[in-house]
Amino acid sequence: MEKQIKHTEKELLALRDEVSQMWQLVISQLEKVKQAYLENDAELAREVISREKRVDTFELKIDSDCENYIALFSPVAVDLRLVLSMIKISGTLERIGDFAEGIARHVVVDGCCGVAMELKEDLRIGQMFDTVISMLSDSYVALETENTKLAGKIMQQDEEVDALYRNAIRVLAAYVAKRPEQARCILETLLVTRKIERIGDHCDNIVEEIVFYIDAKILKHNRSK
Amino acid sequence: MSKKSNQAIAFWTFRILGLIVVAILFWILGFIIWHGAGSINWEFLTSEPTDGMTGGGIFPAIVGTFCLIVGSMIVAFPLGVMSAIYTTEYAGNGKIVRFIRIMTNNLGSIPSIIFGLFGMALFVNSLGFGDSIIAGSFTLGLLVLPLVIRTTEEALKAVPDSYRTGSLALGATKLQTIWRVVLPTAFPNITTGLILSIGRVSGETAPILFTAAAYFLPKLPSSIYDQVMALPYHLYVIATSGTDLEATRPMAYGTALVLIFIVLVMNLSASALRRYIGKKTKTN
Amino acid sequence: MIETKDINFYYGDFHALKGISMKMQPNTVTAFIGPSGCGKSTFLRLFNRMNDLIPGTRLTGECLVGGEDIYAKGVQVDELRKKVGMVFQKPNPFPKSIFENVAYGLRVNGVKDKAFIRQRVEESLRGAALWDEVKDKLKKSAFELSGGQQQRLCIARALAISPSVLLMDEPASALDPISTSKIEELIHELKRDYTIVIVTHNMQQAARVSDKTGFFMLGELVEYSDTKKMFLNPEKIQTQNYITGRFG
Repeated sequence: MEKQIKHTEKELLALRDEVSQMWQLVISQLEKVKQAYLENDAELAREVISREKRVDTFELKIDSDCENYIALFSPVAVDLRLVLSMIKISGTLERIGDFAEGIARHVVVDGCCGVAMELKEDLRIGQMFDTVISMLSDSYVALETENTKLAGKIMQQDEEVDALYRNAIRVLAAYVAKRPEQARCILETLLVTRKIERIGDHCDNIVEEIVFYIDAKILKHNRSK
Repeated sequence: MSKKSNQAIAFWTFRILGLIVVAILFWILGFIIWHGAGSINWEFLTSEPTDGMTGGGIFPAIVGTFCLIVGSMIVAFPLGVMSAIYTTEYAGNGKIVRFIRIMTNNLGSIPSIIFGLFGMALFVNSLGFGDSIIAGSFTLGLLVLPLVIRTTEEALKAVPDSYRTGSLALGATKLQTIWRVVLPTAFPNITTGLILSIGRVSGETAPILFTAAAYFLPKLPSSIYDQVMALPYHLYVIATSGTDLEATRPMAYGTALVLIFIVLVMNLSASALRRYIGKKTKTN
Repeated sequence: MIETKDINFYYGDFHALKGISMKMQPNTVTAFIGPSGCGKSTFLRLFNRMNDLIPGTRLTGECLVGGEDIYAKGVQVDELRKKVGMVFQKPNPFPKSIFENVAYGLRVNGVKDKAFIRQRVEESLRGAALWDEVKDKLKKSAFELSGGQQQRLCIARALAISPSVLLMDEPASALDPISTSKIEELIHELKRDYTIVIVTHNMQQAARVSDKTGFFMLGELVEYSDTKKMFLNPEKIQTQNYITGRFG
C-alpha cells in the first residue's frame, strides 16, 4: 500500500524546502564575498550587500511559517524538534548572512587594498573562507541525509578556523609593530578574520540543532566535558 | 398524489382512529354514569344491602374490594419486585433466568378462573384459610405477579448502568447500590406496574369466586380470615341472579360506577405517589 | 503507589493485556494514551477491580496498590474501591440532590454523623472547585448542573471518601473546551494529595496534565516514560508515529 502523505507532513516538507533555499543562498553569499574580498571586487561586494535583503526575507518567512505550524498543528516529538530547529537554523543562517554582508562592506569602503593584498596570503584568509563554506555545505548535507556522523567532522573544521584566527592575530600583531602607519587597515583586516571565525561558530550551532532534531541529544554547553 | 396530501390523509386517518377510541371510552363511561348516577346517594354508599339485595346499599362490597386490593398488593408487590431484582440485577442472563422469564410470561396468560380454582385448592382447602380475605388476596396476588415482575424488570433495566458502576466505584456493595440508587430511580416506573395491577385486581371476579367473595354478607369483615363481599362479584350477582333483576338494574349501574370510581381514585393516588417520588429523584 | 507485575488479562479468548509491568509513583499524574481498543481503559479498571463486573474475564500477574496485592484472596472489593476512586467518561451523577451525591460514598460506608458529613461534603466540593458554584443550591437535583459541573461533582463524590488513588477514564471527553480546561486545572491541583491515573484520547491533554505517560498498543505497553520525554523525543518509532498522527 502506498503511503499517503498527510497534509501536515506536506507543510513540514515545504518548511524544510524553504530552509534549504535559504541555506543555498547563504552559501552562495559566502562564496561571492570570498571572491570579492580576495580579488578586491567592489562590484561583487555590492551584489552581496544587496542580496542580504533576500536572506532577511527568508528568515522572516520561515519564522512565521514555523509559528503558524506550531499554532495550528501542535506538533510533538520529531515534528516539534524539526520546527524548533528550523526556527533556530534560519536565525543562525541570517546571522551568517549578516557577517557576509559585513565583510562585503569592508571591501566596498576599505581603501586599504595595498596592505590587504599582502596580508591575505600570510593570514590564509582564503583557507578560512573555504573551511567555513565547507562547514555550511556539510551541515546542509547532514540535515538532508539526516546523518549525524558529519557533525564530528564539522566541529573539527571549526577548530581549524579557530586556529587560523589565533594565527591571524599573531601575524597581525607582528605586522602592526613593523608598519604602525598601517594600523587602521590591519585592524580592519582583523575584523574580517574575526567575522569569518564567528561564521564558523554559527555553523557549529547549526550542527547542534541538526543533531537535536535527529537524535534529540543536546550538544550545547557540555561539549567540553 | 403529492407527498403533502398523503401526509394529510395519514394524519387524518390516525386522528379519526384516535378519536374513535376516546369516543368509545366516553360512551361506556357516559352510559354507566347516565344509568348509575341516579342510584348513587349517601345511603347507597354507606349502608348494607337489604331485602334480598334489592334494596339498601353496597358498603360491605366497597370495603371488601378495598381489602382485596390492598391485600393482593401486599402479597404481589414485595414478591414481584424481589424476583425482578433477582432476575435483572443478580442472575445475569443464564438459562435459569430465561426459563424463569418464559414461565412468568406463561403464568401471565393463564385464564383467571384457573387461578380461582388453584386458590381454592391451595389456600382455602390445603392451607385451611377458608373463604377469606387472605385466601382471596393471595390468589389475586398470584394473578398479577407476572405483571408486577415484568413491569419491575423493565423499570430496573431502564436505570442506566452508569449509576450502578458509579455507586460500586464508591465502595458501595451491590445491595446498597440496588437499595439506594437503582430502586429509587426505578420507582416511578415500578409504580406504573402498581397502577396496572390495581386495575386488574379490582375488576377480577373469577379468582375470588371460590376464595373470598360472599354472595350476601351484610356485615363488615373483622379479620383477614373473614369472607367479604366484593364489587365485581356483587355486580355479577345483582345483574344476573338476583330475585328481581329489573328492579335492581339501576343498583347494578350504580355499583359499576362505584367500581370505576374506586379504580380511578386508586390510579390517581398511585400516579400522585409516582410524581411525588419522581420529583425527589429526578431523572433527566 | 501502584505497581503491576506481568499483568495478562483476557476477555474470554481475547488477550486484552499482554504482560504489562509498570510502576506509578505517589502524587503524580500518569496518563495512558493509545488507539481505541488498545487496552488502556481495561488496564485502568484493574486498579479498582471494575473489570470484575464483566463476566468471562481472566487475569494473571500481580497488581499492587499501596503495597497490597488487590487480587489476593480475601481482599474486600468494596474496601479497595474506597481507596481507589474513579471518575468516568460521561458524568454520571445519581438522580439525587447535589449534597446527597457527594454524601453518598460516606453514607454507604456507614457514616452517620451529620456534622461530619456536611463538613466532608463542603471540603470535597471545594476540592473539586465546585463549592462556590453550588453552595446555594445543594438541595437541588444534580441534573440541574451543566455537563462540566456534573463531572466536577463526580470528582467531588469520589474525593468525599478520601481515596489515595483517583482513576479517571477520559474524564473530559464529553465536555466543552472551557469545562475541559477546568477539569485539567483541577487534576493539576489534585495531584498534591492524590495519585492520579488518567486515560485520555486527547494527546495534548496527556501532555498538559501528566507527569508520566504510558503508550499502549494492541494490549502492550509500548513505552512508558516522562511525559516531557515522550512528547519531545519518544524512544519507540510506534510511539512517535502515534503521537505525531502518522499512525497506521
